[in-house]
Amino acid sequence: MALLALENVSVAYDNQYILQNFNLNIEKGQLISLLGPSGCGKTTTLRLIAGFLEAKDGRFLFDGKDYTRVPVNKRNFGFVFQSYALFPHLSVFDNVAFGLRLRKVNEAEVKQRVLRILEVVSLGGFEKRFPKELSGGQRQRVAIARALVISPDLLLFDEPLSNLDANLRINMRVEIRRIQQELGITTVYVSHDQEECFSISDQVAIMNKGIIEQLDDPATIFKYPKTEFIARFIGFTNFIDFAERSETNGEIGLRVGGHEFVAAKNPGTASPMSKKCAMRPDDLLVTTEEADQAGMNRLHGSVKVSTFLGRSYQYVVETELGDFTVNQEMETPYRSGQKVNLLFPKDKMVLVD
Amino acid sequence: MRKKGLYLLLLPGVLFLTLFMVIPIAMTIASTFFHEGSFTLQGYMQFLTDKYFVKILLTTLQVSLVTTIACIVLGFPAAYYISKLGPRKKGILLALAIFPLLTSSVVRSFSWMIILGKKGLLNSSLLSIGLIDKPLEILYTPTAMMIGLIHLFLPLIIITLVGVMENIDPDLIKAAESLGASKFTAFRQVIVPLSVPGLIIGSILVFVGSLTAYTTPALLGGKQRVISTFLYQNAITLNDWYMASVIATIMIVITFVVIFFMNKLATKLNPKG
Repeated sequence: MALLALENVSVAYDNQYILQNFNLNIEKGQLISLLGPSGCGKTTTLRLIAGFLEAKDGRFLFDGKDYTRVPVNKRNFGFVFQSYALFPHLSVFDNVAFGLRLRKVNEAEVKQRVLRILEVVSLGGFEKRFPKELSGGQRQRVAIARALVISPDLLLFDEPLSNLDANLRINMRVEIRRIQQELGITTVYVSHDQEECFSISDQVAIMNKGIIEQLDDPATIFKYPKTEFIARFIGFTNFIDFAERSETNGEIGLRVGGHEFVAAKNPGTASPMSKKCAMRPDDLLVTTEEADQAGMNRLHGSVKVSTFLGRSYQYVVETELGDFTVNQEMETPYRSGQKVNLLFPKDKMVLVD
Repeated sequence: MRKKGLYLLLLPGVLFLTLFMVIPIAMTIASTFFHEGSFTLQGYMQFLTDKYFVKILLTTLQVSLVTTIACIVLGFPAAYYISKLGPRKKGILLALAIFPLLTSSVVRSFSWMIILGKKGLLNSSLLSIGLIDKPLEILYTPTAMMIGLIHLFLPLIIITLVGVMENIDPDLIKAAESLGASKFTAFRQVIVPLSVPGLIIGSILVFVGSLTAYTTPALLGGKQRVISTFLYQNAITLNDWYMASVIATIMIVITFVVIFFMNKLATKLNPKG
């Protein structure tokens, strides 16, 4: 059974639903990310789990117990804020000790546990400093230590890295993953940065307009997005909407307006009736050769725009089925207006809903 | 613009204050040390050895202290509530809170006389519901003064506290709660210590204001004197300007001592960082 389960949960502000009949299950020891554009409900979901928000309908089960009406301070969940929310009037030591002292842990044990957790987040020797005297990354690590030291049953992160610069972000996410795995603590992580989510998560839930569109491991989502929304979100820029679909010899035949395509049957996540194909710009090829090539679909077109990207060129190719974007490495680039053939590898055409 | 030129902007204000405040005060203080042409501390000796004078001084300090504490106790929760509101409601409630400051002290004090008097609103209602069987003596006592002063100065402490509390990150409360604190504990361990700067400034304003207030104690205190009314009596009724200057100097010294120690306290309690 899942450690955490949201069952048909609804949350509304001023009669406007943010979440409606929302469901989510999380297994013990996993790090699951909620990813999506702003306003998709990911932060609402996190705050609901933390107890800062109350569900209008539905149930929240944790470890088999009903937590729906349990107040925040009785949940024993660690929460790491985007703003860090360190207590400015307390030293690093007192910040981290805050939760332990509320639990009436004796002072000798408080000292030992605080110093140990500060070692874990590589902040040994900083206990006498005040939050103002720390850098952004150090503050974030104090915030993580403060949430970890109470041995929480669940760790919650709300966009913890968005206030840090790019290099620090990469270091910190490796750090968060290391600590999470070392302590084996179940974690829910919210971010709008897909690279961040994909790199640290066991599972990623991609959210849109208050529902989870796909919940899978990062590699599966990256290769086989379930919907057009997700495909666009993770970098698929080319789509073809086919009119007919048929299956023969383990391949899928797709037709639209006199054009016939073949797509390999892959372990995609879309529904078996889907007729929409998504392709990454890196997976298409532009060529001037007319000869048919094995495993390729072909479409005539002309180069509309040619842009130099440094390592490669980006072409926008105009065809009867619309414009396609292709990234390709080339010594001598194609010119604008040049007649070309666009090649679609069978196995790179991903069916989406 | 060169930086030096900017100092010129201060000139009108500095000139005004020097002419009409610094010099007169310095002269008042200096005059207390000279009586009939020679240096003397006689005025101070006389003041501090006279039991009547000392009693007035202690009553004044007591009234000011109680007023300050009452303002903190009454103002703190109200300020916290106001600081949590949206901009519209906050504006309305702050305007309401400031209202007592906008009415004349004479009008305000006369209203209290009507309420607190022997046949006033308070006594007649308490008598009619049978809670007491003879009128309470409130008007013309230190209690009446305190009531009037609390009414006058509560806005000051609310305004300064709201200003400080507004700037406390609401996530701090959530953080405390997620670490296991009840709402009350979070308030006590996070909001209260972070409000100390506002509390100190507000307390100084109320304490010094109560110490030097004239109209309210004069109208509500009856025969009961405080330093300011006593000063007035010496200067205007008894025409003893020498003694009045001594009293004025003592008030100035007390004010500075209070501000000095409150600032010391502030540095000690002030949240670091």
